[in-house]
Amino acid sequence: MYLPDFEYFNPDSVEEACQLLLKYGSKAKAIAGGTDVLVKMKKELLAPEVIVGIGQLSQLKKIEYVPGKGVVIGSGVTHNEVQNSKVLQEKYLSVSEAAHQMANNQVRNLGTIGGNISNAVPSADMPPILIALDTTAKIVGAKGERTLPLEDVFAGPNETVLEHDELITEFVIPDGSFTGSTYMKFGLRASGALAVVGVAASVQMEDGVIKDARIVLGAVSPVPVRAKKAEDFLKGKPAGEEIFAEAGVIASGECKPISDIRASAEYRKDMVRVFTKRALNKAANEGHV
Amino acid sequence: MSKEVSYLNMNKQYSYVGKSLKRTDILDKVTGRGKYIDDLKFSNMLYGKLIRSTEAHARIINIDTSEAEKLPGVKAIITAKDVPSIKYGLSPARYDENIFCTDTVKFYGDKIGAICAVDEETVYKALKLIKVEYEVLPAVFTPAEAAKEDAPQIFEEFPGNVNTEIHLEFGDIEKAKQEAYYVRTDRLVGQRTLHGFIEPHCAIAYWEGKRVHIHSSHQSVHYLQHHIARIFDMKEGDVRVTLPYVGGGFGGKVDISGVDISAVALSKITGQPVKMFFDLEEVWLNGRGRHGMDMTYTTGVTKEGKILFVESETILDGGAYSGLGVATSYYAGSLLNVLYDFDNYRFDAYRYVTNLPPCGAQRGHGQPHPRYAFESHLDHIAEDLGMDPIDLRLVNARKANTVTPNGYEVKSYYLTEANELARDASGWKDKKGKLPVGRGIGVGNGGFVTGAGFCMYRTDLPHSIGMIKVYDDGTHAIVYSQAVDIGQGSDTVLTQMAAEAMGFPYEDITICTRDTDLATLDFGAYASRQTLMAGWAVKRAGEDIKKKILIQAAEMLKVKEDGGYRSGKLMPEELDCKEGLVFVKQEPGVNITFAEVARAYFVKHGVLVGRGYYHPGKLGGKHKGAAVGTSPAYSSATQIAEVEVDMETGVTKVVGTWDVHDSGCVVNPQLLHGQVHGAFSMGIGETIWEKVTFDEKGKLLNGNFAEYRMPTALDMPHVDSLVLDTFEPNGPWGVKEVGEGATTPTLGCVANAVYDAIGVRVAELPLTPEKIWRGLKEAREAKEKEGK
Repeated sequence: MYLPDFEYFNPDSVEEACQLLLKYGSKAKAIAGGTDVLVKMKKELLAPEVIVGIGQLSQLKKIEYVPGKGVVIGSGVTHNEVQNSKVLQEKYLSVSEAAHQMANNQVRNLGTIGGNISNAVPSADMPPILIALDTTAKIVGAKGERTLPLEDVFAGPNETVLEHDELITEFVIPDGSFTGSTYMKFGLRASGALAVVGVAASVQMEDGVIKDARIVLGAVSPVPVRAKKAEDFLKGKPAGEEIFAEAGVIASGECKPISDIRASAEYRKDMVRVFTKRALNKAANEGHV
Repeated sequence: MSKEVSYLNMNKQYSYVGKSLKRTDILDKVTGRGKYIDDLKFSNMLYGKLIRSTEAHARIINIDTSEAEKLPGVKAIITAKDVPSIKYGLSPARYDENIFCTDTVKFYGDKIGAICAVDEETVYKALKLIKVEYEVLPAVFTPAEAAKEDAPQIFEEFPGNVNTEIHLEFGDIEKAKQEAYYVRTDRLVGQRTLHGFIEPHCAIAYWEGKRVHIHSSHQSVHYLQHHIARIFDMKEGDVRVTLPYVGGGFGGKVDISGVDISAVALSKITGQPVKMFFDLEEVWLNGRGRHGMDMTYTTGVTKEGKILFVESETILDGGAYSGLGVATSYYAGSLLNVLYDFDNYRFDAYRYVTNLPPCGAQRGHGQPHPRYAFESHLDHIAEDLGMDPIDLRLVNARKANTVTPNGYEVKSYYLTEANELARDASGWKDKKGKLPVGRGIGVGNGGFVTGAGFCMYRTDLPHSIGMIKVYDDGTHAIVYSQAVDIGQGSDTVLTQMAAEAMGFPYEDITICTRDTDLATLDFGAYASRQTLMAGWAVKRAGEDIKKKILIQAAEMLKVKEDGGYRSGKLMPEELDCKEGLVFVKQEPGVNITFAEVARAYFVKHGVLVGRGYYHPGKLGGKHKGAAVGTSPAYSSATQIAEVEVDMETGVTKVVGTWDVHDSGCVVNPQLLHGQVHGAFSMGIGETIWEKVTFDEKGKLLNGNFAEYRMPTALDMPHVDSLVLDTFEPNGPWGVKEVGEGATTPTLGCVANAVYDAIGVRVAELPLTPEKIWRGLKEAREAKEKEGK
């Protein structure tokens, strides 16, 4: 349990950070809060020769509402900052609440949202709710920038589509028509437990009819996945417990969980059913919570 | 938060005993000023770690340390050839552990050697350079595998891999079977758990001439001293053990962990202080936690629910070495007779050796699993008889001043009253059988010994010696005892007792413990013994002081010639001393300060010292294993839990808990309530979440607090801790234990509440959401099948 030797850089800007990442390629790793990378290094699962610190970059530390664009969340904000953000509490309490459900207070105080996404752990708590709200990710590299829907950022467990020199700089939750959203985390204890299943749902309700819906499942596939058949099933249907229960059954059939030390695949599948139903109910009836 | 019900011990007017006084260590601990072992530094100190096996069962072919030795900063590397070839353990009947493996490794994490270097970083680097070549042997990971005819033999001395086998029988089972109205058999399984203290094992040793001084995190300075002396063939007087504050033990720091022995050996070789320390995962590898137990009970009762006989078989997963496991095996059966009064009892137990970390003692030593199983079993019997579960317990609860069939003398025992109070406080009658589906209430009984009747190694030494020295000017006193405060608060309680016995202010006493050179003999913190056993020794030392003070004061005090209650010379027995003031009992206005009297004593006689001695005397019967479970006093307790189970997910939320403890006179109520809160936290964790888990090759999977899930504050229910405040004739001021006994009913009461909530018995701990979900699913499917 000792950190191996590494060289540390403390760049002044995202651009400089990207240049460093380009220069050192696969030997380098960017860290912000360090709650994932440093732990992996101590466990000898990761041995970067170069570490590029980006946690101090002020340009990544904002949460603001830009009219016409949406809510912009810098990748360097911590989970506690997401949790306590007035902007998010007002517009998308569901995002703020999802951040609150992550890990424990110590980790939330250090770990950043950009890190949680880039680390691409299948059970991560932030991706489902952000994907359910059609969030996009702005990615900056040494050679330029691009924007992707967040759901296209993930490539597999601990893998993203980012190049070595690229960093996510901000997330944008676009102004949309969703009337409600929520994230339900199912962990095996009240705090400090990874999600066995995480389900985010967002709905656009109009006169009791579901115009549109997103269901995003965490911890049951290599990457966060949308239960698209269940989403399609819901469109145009009147909201109601039976409809949501049926959507749960459909979503349950769409996921491909694994069995591990925390739960069996069979149990996870059924929990997808239960929490899809509950999340839809909550999003339809209570707004962004 | 907590209520106290005064009961059976009404007649007490004490200055310090019975009050929630401020802990002696509180400022040190809340300010961070207090030192734990990891805070200690000595000049030229080296840092060391154990070299551990990476196979579960294998023959060591070769250990190549050459690359590691070349690394700058590495000071010494030792293996079996460099240390005494003596075997050790905790029970002389089963000394089966080598300092380092000599031929085979017996579990993943077994000790192969030790290494020390100038700093931690170098040690970790060097560890990676050590190459061990193995011939892998077939391994067994469960008692079932160990019991197979063609199973590999892990120890020559344990044929069939049976480490301990017990067959005890009392009364006439066959006759009782004829008389029984109803007989039922249940089988329940308890899992392997670990203590979960937050301070890993660590030891620092250095030599001062022929003497070695060890600082450690341990539960007994005396046992550590004894075993180090034995292992290194030294005189006990040449081994000094000192403990700074200890960050929890729960039974996991009674054994020799290896940091202690290797620190002594490496410090001898290097001539420098050596600090050996565990990473958190090594605490799991060292193990010594709760045994996995597979328990089957057959009980016969009368129509009224009176138990006529119990037959039980318990199979224990012992792990690789014995440690305290022989005692655990006996404890698993022997204390049932204390709880419930019945004559005919058979207890068979088999403790198997497996290629996993050794199991040992964990809070409630050997008790919580059997209590869980038997309390579950009782609920089924009650249900079958159409009885309220508490009524069934009341029919069978042991009474005070009785003797168990296995030879324990039980003085105070108020289990009946505990059941009644818990029933009334929890609103049981309005809830049992009346709660909606998914909500349930359950009861569990338990209790424990108040100190073991015999020393773990065989000796005629007294169990505790107390000494108190008063300062020359009489203004301060020091209490000496090798009692070990591991966080439970024994320093505070013993200081309260010394103050009470002496009649001297609590705040003017300092306690000197946890040091074999400075303090006087005590066996340490295990078997819930400190308050009663060290308490007797300290009480007697305090009374010795008071006796001397009153003799001296009788010479100094004068009653008035006229108007007083009498005139003339005073006798010591006419005086008393309380809170630092010596006074005439009949005329308290005539008084003098303790300090003045003590100073006068010093001027005349020299140092004022009080001495106290405690030995429980010869206890118990004569059958094999009769010693285990003997104790001067037995606590009892009833706990009730109310739970809410999510019928879709299987998640259990404990919504309310009640504990009623019959723990004698309560010296410090705040500390008792702390024990009860902690016991619920530990017990709820073991019922719902915790299990030490290994992969198919015996490699530990969850040696950390993220995947070995103990409850957090957010998971804890409200705890209603009620005290019977009874009186135990064998305890100083009537005290009994609470620390370990409080964990023994928890697993049973929570499991029974879950059963009450869902109507399905999940018969294997922990009751994880998935197991409950599966239990409900299977019950549903069985019902559907029946319907068709």
